[in-house]
Amino acid sequence: MSVRIEIPPLLRHHTNGVITAEVKGSTVGECLNSFAKQYPGTRKRLFDKNGKLLRYVEIYVNGETSYPKELARQVNDGDEISIVYLISGG
Amino acid sequence: MKGITRKFLRVNLSNGKIGEEAIPEQVETDFIGGRGFGIHYLYRELVPKSDPLGEHNKLIFVAGPLAGTTAQAVSRWMVYTKSPLTGALARSVSGADFGAWIKFAGYEFILVEGKAERPAYIHLTRDTCRIEPADELWGKDTAATQEWLTRRHGLNTRAACIGPGGENLVKYAAIVTHRRTASRCGVGAVMGSKNLKAIAINAERNLQLYDPEGFKKLVKQQIQTMMANKAFQYHREMGTTGNPENTSELGIFPTKNFRYGRLDDYEKITGDEYLKHRIGQFGCYSCAARCGKIHHVTKGLYAGAQSEGPEYESIWAFSGPIENSSLEATIAADQLCDDLGIDTISTGNTIGFAYELYEKGLLTKKDTDGLELKYGNHKAMVELVKKIARREGIGDLLAEGTMRVAEKIGKGAEAFAINAKGLELPAYEPRGSKSLGFNYATSNIGGSHSYGYATQEVLGASFPRRVDRFAEEENADIVIFNQNNVAVGEVGIACAFSRGWFPQVYDKLLIAATGIDKIAERGYLMHVGEKIVNLERAFIVREGFGRKQDTLPQRMLTEPLHTRGSPGEGQMIRNLDKFLDRYYELRGWTPEGIPSSEKLEELGLGYMTKDMAQYHHIKAT
Ligand code: SF4
Repeated sequence: MSVRIEIPPLLRHHTNGVITAEVKGSTVGECLNSFAKQYPGTRKRLFDKNGKLLRYVEIYVNGETSYPKELARQVNDGDEISIVYLISGG
Repeated sequence: MKGITRKFLRVNLSNGKIGEEAIPEQVETDFIGGRGFGIHYLYRELVPKSDPLGEHNKLIFVAGPLAGTTAQAVSRWMVYTKSPLTGALARSVSGADFGAWIKFAGYEFILVEGKAERPAYIHLTRDTCRIEPADELWGKDTAATQEWLTRRHGLNTRAACIGPGGENLVKYAAIVTHRRTASRCGVGAVMGSKNLKAIAINAERNLQLYDPEGFKKLVKQQIQTMMANKAFQYHREMGTTGNPENTSELGIFPTKNFRYGRLDDYEKITGDEYLKHRIGQFGCYSCAARCGKIHHVTKGLYAGAQSEGPEYESIWAFSGPIENSSLEATIAADQLCDDLGIDTISTGNTIGFAYELYEKGLLTKKDTDGLELKYGNHKAMVELVKKIARREGIGDLLAEGTMRVAEKIGKGAEAFAINAKGLELPAYEPRGSKSLGFNYATSNIGGSHSYGYATQEVLGASFPRRVDRFAEEENADIVIFNQNNVAVGEVGIACAFSRGWFPQVYDKLLIAATGIDKIAERGYLMHVGEKIVNLERAFIVREGFGRKQDTLPQRMLTEPLHTRGSPGEGQMIRNLDKFLDRYYELRGWTPEGIPSSEKLEELGLGYMTKDMAQYHHIKAT
């Protein structure tokens, strides 16, 4: 299953400026893991030590939040995953 | 018939006249409330070119149409006036309970004019309003002032007041309520110039809503949406303290007076580090987020310092500009600013500027009362905060803000003054977050992030579209969208930090509160947002602003950014003119940055065409 990941500004440093990536997986978790394998620098900005999604990262699939299922959320071929940082500005 | 009357209170400090006035239904429909009322009345009432610190300036304290209700995160309030720091518009937003109390007293806003002969405060209840002597209060800090007013008028009192900063006319003095501040653009100095120490309101919950039952259901929906929102949960946990790490890794945490994009040791000022000092939290009226995190210092030089905050901007203001990574010093400086009533952003930025002047030899120990302004010296930073608020020694000069300090010092000092239209730039580097940078340049209040915050660049939001944060004129539409969209949120003065519920219920809540059906029309709120920004633009055009002032500090246009390993190394603003051409074109303004007759007509501001026509011949220089 091929899914497209939109890479946010904070992670582009670790993807050599690349802004989208094609990954394989049937859940959000599998897709993000495959992405982090391609770009190892992104792992600590996505997962905590136990492999859980960080508490300030939100994943959208085709514009809809995957919260609260998060990593367990199923994805389909051609879906688009967006990674958004929930940090408040101010 | 809507069946509810919205009104405001006018208080004239010169002649003591106090009176209520109804807000005409047409004005309600056209501007809805909050920021819409603020600019509508300021534009209408202020004689152009009035001295901001003179008797003729007006000071408007506005609550939003949803303030004081059970709806969440909508009880913030704002101040509208002409800024003594910039000479342009002042729009300054604050929190805590004061917005709700304005509504409980029965008003949408309080308009203060004239000047009291002696120090005074306004005491307002649901039935009475008096101008009282404040000689006893003059000189007190903001905490002591509020304590005094509560003792005098009872526990149900909420006050907005100034501290020594406002009394001493520090050009960037704040107005403080609880420990929340309307801090930007020098609104506290305007209050000080009127000899007005405080407005104290005694009132109990008492509101008229157009559709109370419908409103109740919508609030339920709002709370459910909010609670199910991960962003809300994280904001509740951390407030804005998580942002320094984010902006440092983006290379946009301005450091050493905006020469670098992050501190070398930024790991020392992350949210998790602040968490170690956290002892409590505070929230605004009817907001479950309680995002004000209270920090306390237990040992060392600053033992005993305690502050509600610092939030992101204040964390930056007392770390980035002078390259300081002592959290304890930052907490102490933040506390002083709130007590003394001065803006953390302008204070921190101006101090960073002074450090660079010292480095370049344009200020010496003789000028600084013996303080050594060497980068990293946080003790001197904390001393300067006190001196600025009291206008002591070097503080008297720095209290004027970077633009005037540069003018006074000369010798090329303006090259290091980091402001837009005279308002000191905040905690986002414009060269690494260019839509925010161009927002600083075009904002009608000067260098403010909150006038057109670029969530797309800082947080990776994809609405209305994704952006390349280093692109320039290609993102003119995004700058416009962000500015108009912020204005939409501020007709209801909804908190910018808690917006997960926004698309679902904001417009419905506004209708249920006010009965303005037009809000339901597709695109109407965006139309009002655009109208507000245009009216604000017209306000500053009338004050002499145009294309020439829509600019950024020299440093951003001529020096590359150094990010110390974060992305964006070498970025500069490549072509401001090209950006402005595109921005004005999309805005429907003349190439000189003046709203065209066609645009004014389209926005229902046709009555201003004559006002603006006299500026259309002006050519940018
Ligand atoms: S989110 Fe924070 S600033 Fe906003 S209304 Fe709630 S407590 Fe106040």
